[in-house]
Amino acid sequence: MRLPTSARLSETTAERLRIAALLAPAVALIVLLFLGGLVSGLLRSLNYFPLIGLDTPNFDAYTAILSDREFLLSFWLTLYISLVSTILSTVLAVAAALLLRAALKGRRVVNVFFSLNLTIPHLVGAVGILYLISQSGLLARAAANLGMIDRPAEFPALVADPLAIGIILTYVWKEVPFIGVIALAILLSVGEDYESVAKSLGAKRWQAFRHVTLPLLAPGVASASFIVFAFTFGAFEIPWLLGRTYPSALPVLAFESYSDVDLGSRPKAMAMAMVIALLSALAIVGYTRLSRRFIRS
Amino acid sequence: MTNVTLSKLTKEFEGKPDPSVDHIDLEIESGKLTALLGPSGCGKTTTMRMIAGLLRPTSGDIKFDGKSIVSIAPERRGAVMVFQNYLLFPYMTIRENVSFGLKMRGVSKTETRQRVGEMLDLVQLPGLEDRMPKQLSGGQQQRVALARALIVQPKVLLLDEPLSNLDAHLRDEMRELIRRLQGELKITTIFVTHDQEEAAVLSDKIALILRGRLQHFGPPEEYFERPASVEIARFFGGVNFIPGAYDGSVIATSIGKFSAPRSSIASGAGVLTIRPEAVEIGGEGANSVPGRVVSHVYAGRYARFLIDVGGIRIEAVSDPKRVSQIADGDSISLRFDPNEIWVLAQPTEGDGVSLGASEGGNGSVASVSGDE
Ligand SMILES: Nc1ncnc2c1ncn2[C@@H]1O[C@H](COP(=O)(O)OP(=O)(O)OP(=O)(O)O)[C@@H](O)[C@H]1O
Ligand SMILES: [Mg+2]
Repeated sequence: MRLPTSARLSETTAERLRIAALLAPAVALIVLLFLGGLVSGLLRSLNYFPLIGLDTPNFDAYTAILSDREFLLSFWLTLYISLVSTILSTVLAVAAALLLRAALKGRRVVNVFFSLNLTIPHLVGAVGILYLISQSGLLARAAANLGMIDRPAEFPALVADPLAIGIILTYVWKEVPFIGVIALAILLSVGEDYESVAKSLGAKRWQAFRHVTLPLLAPGVASASFIVFAFTFGAFEIPWLLGRTYPSALPVLAFESYSDVDLGSRPKAMAMAMVIALLSALAIVGYTRLSRRFIRS
Repeated sequence: MTNVTLSKLTKEFEGKPDPSVDHIDLEIESGKLTALLGPSGCGKTTTMRMIAGLLRPTSGDIKFDGKSIVSIAPERRGAVMVFQNYLLFPYMTIRENVSFGLKMRGVSKTETRQRVGEMLDLVQLPGLEDRMPKQLSGGQQQRVALARALIVQPKVLLLDEPLSNLDAHLRDEMRELIRRLQGELKITTIFVTHDQEEAAVLSDKIALILRGRLQHFGPPEEYFERPASVEIARFFGGVNFIPGAYDGSVIATSIGKFSAPRSSIASGAGVLTIRPEAVEIGGEGANSVPGRVVSHVYAGRYARFLIDVGGIRIEAVSDPKRVSQIADGDSISLRFDPNEIWVLAQPTEGDGVSLGASEGGNGSVASVSGDE
């Protein structure tokens, strides 16, 4: 225990080196795959591909997609889906967490319920939603059988619809538990004493919520929301399954351009992928900022 | 100025067989400082939460100035509670914390600013408005919590163990501050403590609660000079309890007869009690008994001796200089001044209280000095 300072120092340095050495293979793999992929994608989007003689990078692909109506429609659609899904999920998750805290006795049951949902893959959820709400789905048939509509096909289009309701529903279904678990954990760990203080000092219920509960929840929940935004902006499978073909969500469009027979559209596909990466990165920056503040307080 | 009345106040929690607060009746006078005293888990915080409106009583009533307030929401009761762990809002500056109650009431910005300044002066923390709670020491945070409560001019101030998280020096300072503020502002104040000395120093009256039940309510002297039961006497540092037969003026015990004019019972089976500092070491004549020193502790400001008298252990506190004159094993005489003796009723079996004249406090003296 009583080593001289220098010995102790070198011991911790040695320990750090050992940990670094142990982690090195994993880190190398991640860097290679992730950064490697990102960099090669970036170069490709800049029309830089010396192997086939393209050795002067340019922004042609970017100017091309920015003047492409389909890309712009797709971009706004994706932004709309992500924002609406994120906001809806956040609001519902906070409301759910508050209700669940009030019904504290069922806490364990609730946690199981939340976690169960978290383990179901997005794709499975999407298929489930498809079975449920498409015009040939369960709800449509049930409504037809009950005589509410004449034929299942008269059921409102919630899948492949202009408002992307099916996609948003799937995301909300999947992300409410994710944000909810975090919100509930914060509520339970902070306890109700701050709210008691507020009430004792004269705050009405909504004032206590607005000035105490919400600020205590905000940093943690906002971090989770940023993750949800980044995820929904870059996710491919749900809009591919439940979305319209025109305009399609950005990741779908990017993938389709990439797999186009015309190899010349690859730089455009890569440029789109870079746009997605950039927006997701911005969301992650927001997340780290907030979570750092959250940890400090 | 508000007086607070608790009538048969009771709180039962689901899954707990005994009520946490059990039919408490209490009449707290307007403008006074009252202590709720009792060991951990006896229901002090629960009682305060019910008065503040943060917890609904299972049964019973709470009245402010004769009017029942149990169905009034906490924010409209005018009873403000200060919690043991301060609970300053961590994301707000000191100014925002202190002004919270005013903001909820829609008080104007300029008035708020001025009152926050005055309040921080009052608790002796001027100029800290723009700090964050984390940047303050425990004692400073406690003052801010106090300022945050006082700024709304509560009818009733509820302080839950306001001093228990502070070190000894700060605690004295805060005691002073609370005493002074309460004297100036004359707010009816109830404060919780599990420290009998703190209760005695600070309060006009002490309500002693054991196992959710009110044991006694009265000024501090009563607890030290005329405790109502062995259990109460013991809670207030009583250690010498000798059972005997009392005839109204003399108590006959296994170690002799003592004249005892002061008592809580008329006659019958009684218990002689005398505070350690009232036992005269070396005193002779009437009301004295011979004994042998078992062990002693030197505590700087005083010395504490454990003395065996005919198989009964008596504890005596004396001038620390006696330590050089008296050795363990010495035979000495002890005198119980008749006016210092207090005769109590013998506890009945059901109370679960033993006299334990040879264990309890006595045992600790022996173990500290380590030479029995
Ligand atoms: N919300 C609750 N649910 C169940 N039991 C509770 C609850 N709050 C308090 N109790 C129980 O009620 C009893 C009294 O608790 P209380 O907090 O009032 O004690 P206290 O006198 O303030 O103790 P301390 O000095 O440790 O703060 C305890 O046995 C406690 O376990
Ligand atoms: Mg308590």
